[in-house]
Parts: sequence; structure tokens; C-alpha cells
Amino acid sequence: MNSTNSRLRFVGVIFLIVGLAIIFQIIRVQNSPQAKEMISYLEKTYNQEVRVIKPERGNIYDRWGNLLAGNTEVYEVGIAPSQVVNSDTVAQDLSSILGLDFSEIKKIARSYIEESNEQYMVVVDFVSADKVRLLENKLAEYEKAAKPKKGSAPSLNGVHWVAHLRRSYPENTLAANILGFYNYYDRVDGRGILGLEEQYNNLLAGTATRVVLPMNPTAIQEIPSVPPGSSLILTIDRGIQAATERIAQKAQEDSGAESVTILVMDPETGEMLAMATTPAFNPNEYQKYGEVFPQGSHYNRAISQLYEPGSVFKVLTMAAALDSGAVTPETTFVDTGAIEVGGLWIYNWDRGAWGPQDMTGCMQHSLNVCLAWTATEMGPTTFYNYIQTFGLGKYTGIDLAGEQVYPLSLPGDQNWYPINLGTNAFGQGVAATPIQMITAIAAVANDGKMMAPHVVKAYIQDGHQYDISPRLIRQVITPDTAHTLTEMLANSLENEASVALVEGYRVSGKTGTAEIPGPGGYESSVTNASFVGWGPTDDPKFIVYIWLEKPTSSPWGSVVAAPVFSEVVSELTVLMKLPPDSVRQQMAQP
Amino acid sequence: MFDQRIIQAYKQAPWRVQLQWIGALLLVLVVGMLIAGVYLYLSAEATAAGTQIRELELEREDLQIRIADLSTQLAFLRSASFMQSRAETLGYKNASQGDIVYIPVPGYSGRQVIFLAPPPGNDPVDASIIKPAYKESLWEWLYQGTFDLIESRGLKP
Repeated sequence: MNSTNSRLRFVGVIFLIVGLAIIFQIIRVQNSPQAKEMISYLEKTYNQEVRVIKPERGNIYDRWGNLLAGNTEVYEVGIAPSQVVNSDTVAQDLSSILGLDFSEIKKIARSYIEESNEQYMVVVDFVSADKVRLLENKLAEYEKAAKPKKGSAPSLNGVHWVAHLRRSYPENTLAANILGFYNYYDRVDGRGILGLEEQYNNLLAGTATRVVLPMNPTAIQEIPSVPPGSSLILTIDRGIQAATERIAQKAQEDSGAESVTILVMDPETGEMLAMATTPAFNPNEYQKYGEVFPQGSHYNRAISQLYEPGSVFKVLTMAAALDSGAVTPETTFVDTGAIEVGGLWIYNWDRGAWGPQDMTGCMQHSLNVCLAWTATEMGPTTFYNYIQTFGLGKYTGIDLAGEQVYPLSLPGDQNWYPINLGTNAFGQGVAATPIQMITAIAAVANDGKMMAPHVVKAYIQDGHQYDISPRLIRQVITPDTAHTLTEMLANSLENEASVALVEGYRVSGKTGTAEIPGPGGYESSVTNASFVGWGPTDDPKFIVYIWLEKPTSSPWGSVVAAPVFSEVVSELTVLMKLPPDSVRQQMAQP
Repeated sequence: MFDQRIIQAYKQAPWRVQLQWIGALLLVLVVGMLIAGVYLYLSAEATAAGTQIRELELEREDLQIRIADLSTQLAFLRSASFMQSRAETLGYKNASQGDIVYIPVPGYSGRQVIFLAPPPGNDPVDASIIKPAYKESLWEWLYQGTFDLIESRGLKP
């Protein structure tokens, strides 16, 4: 009996030791560094999902809230080969609805059966919502259908579609030169290119947020609400932009010009109301950029193409001459048809002599000789001080990517010669962009105050709208000088019976025709035709700048650019609801 | 001997002791099962709620995409070129200066630039969508409940 008990006790002890050893080993294995590492890996892989939430790109609106740039719903379609039930249905439906290659899709769909491929594969991206609705209908149809007795039932199992947003421009070509574009096909490194999309890329894009979400449904974690990127409200008026683009297109066709640029600004604030350039470009099809803008051409000529502006520059020269006291409107200049500056002769545009002229006559007949004389009367120091104060040779700082500037040659510079004083006075030998010109001349229309040009009026960030205040660059000339010159330029248009005049509205303006420098010197056969004008003369509400590059129907600004100004202002007064002068003055009376 | 008799007289019968033990064990078992049941029930509820929340969050994402898409679609339908062609089809033409009659309206300062959002200063209350009840454990709930009860009675924990 004792012997039996001893044996039983011995076996019991053995079992106890083995049991304890097993428990010890379980605890040891579970707490080993390898086990901790494995648990950590499994937790990361299966217990949580790391997601980078990219906020919705901010919208861009015109000043009245019309959407110019938004986002549209598109889908990424992919196949999980291990989930495919019927590869024939998958290949058939994806090829017929999405236009994909049947055999290629079938190969992917069968890759799990044939190659044990379990990897999810994206077969197409940026599929429109309409096409995905068709796939959804097919899916519903297959789910309702009765199972066949033989073979596998038609099924779209294994096909997945995931929605995401794509940048979209509902106005198509409208204001494309201002907006720029977003290279949406690059879903990882997509960014804004040119225009506002580039200038405000960070603001529009917002901040991507990385979140770790537990896969365990009991460990609930709220997905943080990532605010969308900031939206922009522009100073641009869609109606005015559409009208100027239409007029620019027509002017290009009528004149045979290489390109047409029209700028409309509120001189009091520097707000750009419209900025039209040709050729038209649809940012929804940004991949065609190279076709529309071949090597060397500019996306937005208004801010990035430098040119010699010609006689529109005389507005600045006359403003400087009047403000410095070198001349008065009544100063008489006897035009002999030529003047020597720096040892070289300068002639009028028609090589004629216009005899005695007051300063209004000089501007009216656009006499190069007279303006060169006023520059010599001021002297190079005063003249170039004024030209620099007007911002020539400096960036205007407009809030668009791609602004270009050409440095102003000044006395003492290697590339400055005494003749420059004479030629610069009538806008030759000096290069500027249309935005520089309109910004400088707008000071004459705004009591001598030069305002910073801008296209963004406000932005919306985190649910609040922040207004951007107009910025005064500087007082360039006195209000008296500005009023005097405005009056002179209104009279000169009226005396000339210019085609730029608009019935019912008194406007001030100046034509410009500039020869284009080539390899063999200036070519008089090809010109840049311009016109700058503002109105109503007694209380300017708009300033318009027109530039036709190399027109073929006529080289003269007075022939090709002035009527475009008239047409723009005729539409502008309606769109801006500006009553004719007589009505306005009548309404202003108490 | 006498002592032993006394002890035997007052001693529980063995079957009674066994019943008491069985009863005690059953009580422990029933209480344990009750706790496990409550725990399972709450876990199931939390899981269902968690799954529903995930689904709702996905639905919210889809809706945000849909809203953005519909806004853009609406903008396509209201684009300048589309509206122009629609207006022309309906027989309208662009107004010219001669078509317009100006009437002075006292106090009217013209069309104002759009306000798509309130100005800074009117901050909305930042409220979490998921209530704490969905995220706390049974123990946390009991602890917090007890703490709140004590505090509401003005007692110090």
C-alpha cells in the first residue's frame, strides 16, 4: 500500500513539475523580447490603421461668389484577385463600362488562381461618378439574379472603387491665366502650378493630418475633422472677365494679332476686375499645356511678358514733367519734327513737323519729339526718379505666381546711353509688363496715389472670412497734377474724335504704338499696339489697359487698340452699373 | 467523551455542510456569470456602436466628397458660358446702356462683395461628436459614476 502511495506521489510530483515547467515556459515565451516585438508588429499591422487625411483643396470664387475652382468626385477602381469569383464578368464589365482592355483585366482577375497573387491592383483612376454608377447598377443586378445551375454566377466580387476628389474648373477657360492649374493626376505630390494655384498653394492645400485608428471596434476613436484648405474670394468679376475675354478673342481675330491682353482695374483700390489674355487655356485639361503654350510663350502675358510699351508711356513722362514743374499744360513747344538727344536724332511717328503745340497737343498727336524735349527739360535725374517712383523696373507684387520684371537702365549703368533719356520718354528702350503699366498709370486716375494691384479680396480659413485691405504703395504725383493730366488726356481724345470715346461717358486715355526690337534693330513693320484709358474722367471707377501684340490689320494703336477700349468700356459701364455722366450728375444733385 | 458528544450534537450534518459549500460555490458561479454577462453585453453594445461609428464616419467622408462634387456640378450649370447660351436660347440678349433706367435709391451703396463665412470672432463651440460614454470602460464608468455621486452629495471622496 505504502509502495503504491509512494509511486502515485512520485507521478504526481512529476506531473506537477511538468505542469509548472509548462506554465513557466508560457510566461517566459510571452514575455520574451521577440514576443513583445511580434505583438507590437501584429498590433501595428492588424490592430490599427494609419491614415493620412488630405484636406479638401480650397475653392476659388469670384467677387460675387461664383465658383471658379472647386473639386469633383472621381473614383479609383482596383481588383483584389483573391476575392474574384467570376473573372469573365469582371473583365467583361470593366472593359465595356470603363473602356479597359479585356484580356489585361482578365489576366489580373485570374492572377490569384494562376499565380497566387493576393496583391490589390489599381486598374484605373479618375473614373467619373457616372461610370461608377453603372458599375453599381451591374452589382445590384448580379445580386438580385438567380444562381445558375452550372458554373459560377456573374459577380463583380473583387472589384473595388474608392471615391476621391479631383480639382475642377467649372468655368473651363474663364480666368485660367489668373487661376493657374493643379496637376491632379499626381495624387501624391500634386501642387498648384502658375497663377493663384501656385501663389497660394499652401493655403489652398491645407494641412494633411496623420491619424492612427484602432481596428478594434470597441476601442472607438473619433476621426479628427480635418478642416479643408483655405478658400479664396477674388477681386475678379466673372461677368467683366467673360466680356473682356470675349472681346480679346474677337480683337485677335479682327486684327490678326499674335495675342491680346486686356486688364481692368479699380484705380482706387488696385483691385483687378478682369485680366484677359489669349490664347485660351482649359485648366481641366492641363496636360495640353505644351500644345497651347509652346516653348518660350507666356502663360499669363499680363504679368510675365515684357514689352516696349511705346506711347502709352508718355502718360508717365507727362505726369513727371507736370509734377516737377518742367512744363505746364499751356507750355508751348515748337515741333520741328526732330530733336537731338545724346548726339542722336529722334523723330515723330510720322516723321512730320507739327509746329507750335501746347502739352495737350503733344499728347493728342503723340509727338515723340515733344516728349523727348520734356524729358530733357526735366533732366535725367528728375525723369528717372519719377519713373522709378512709378515702379518701373520693380515688381508690382501682384499676388500671382510668375510676375516678371526687366531692370530699368539708369544713368551710370553700362547699358544706359544719353539717347535713352529721349527714347524712354516715349516708351522705347524701356521694357515693362502690362500689369506694371496699368499700376503706374492708375496713380494718375487715383489722385496720384499708386495702389498695389491684387486679385485676392478675401480668404476663408477655419470657417472665418478674412478681408484683405487695399494697400497704398505711395503717392507718386500730387492730386493737382493727376487731375490736370486726366483732363488733358480727356480733351486730347475729344479733340481727336478718337474711336476710343464712349457715348455718354467722358474718358481719358492714350494710344501707344511701339516698334519691336529685333536682331537688326527696330522693325517698323511689326508693332505692339496699346491703349490705356480710364473713366469717368471726373471720378474714375475703372482703368483699362489694352495690348495687341503684332497686329497685322494695322500697326497703329489708334486703329486697332482704341476701338477695343471703347468696346470694353461700353460693356463695363453696364456690368458695373455705372450710369452715364449726365444721369450720375443729375442723381448727385440734392 | 462528554465533550465529544456535545460537539457531535451541535455539529452540522456532513450533507448540510456539503450543501452549504455547493450553495456558496453556485452563488459565486452565478455572480461570476452575471458579471460576465453584463461585461459581454456591454462589450457587444460597444462593438456595435463602434462599428456604426466607423460606418458613419465613412458615410460622412462620402458625403463631404458628394457635397463638393454637387457644388462643382452646380457651378458648371451656372457657368458664364452655359448661362449665356441658355439665356440666348430663351430669347434674351445682353443689355446695352440704352436698355437701362437708373433710379436713385437712398441708402443703397451698390452690390456688396460676397460673404461666404462669418468674420473672425464668432467662434463655434468645439464639440466632440463621440460622447465619453462610448469610449470609457465599465470600470471607468463605475468609478466616474461613484465620484459624481459623492461630489453631488457634497462629500469628499
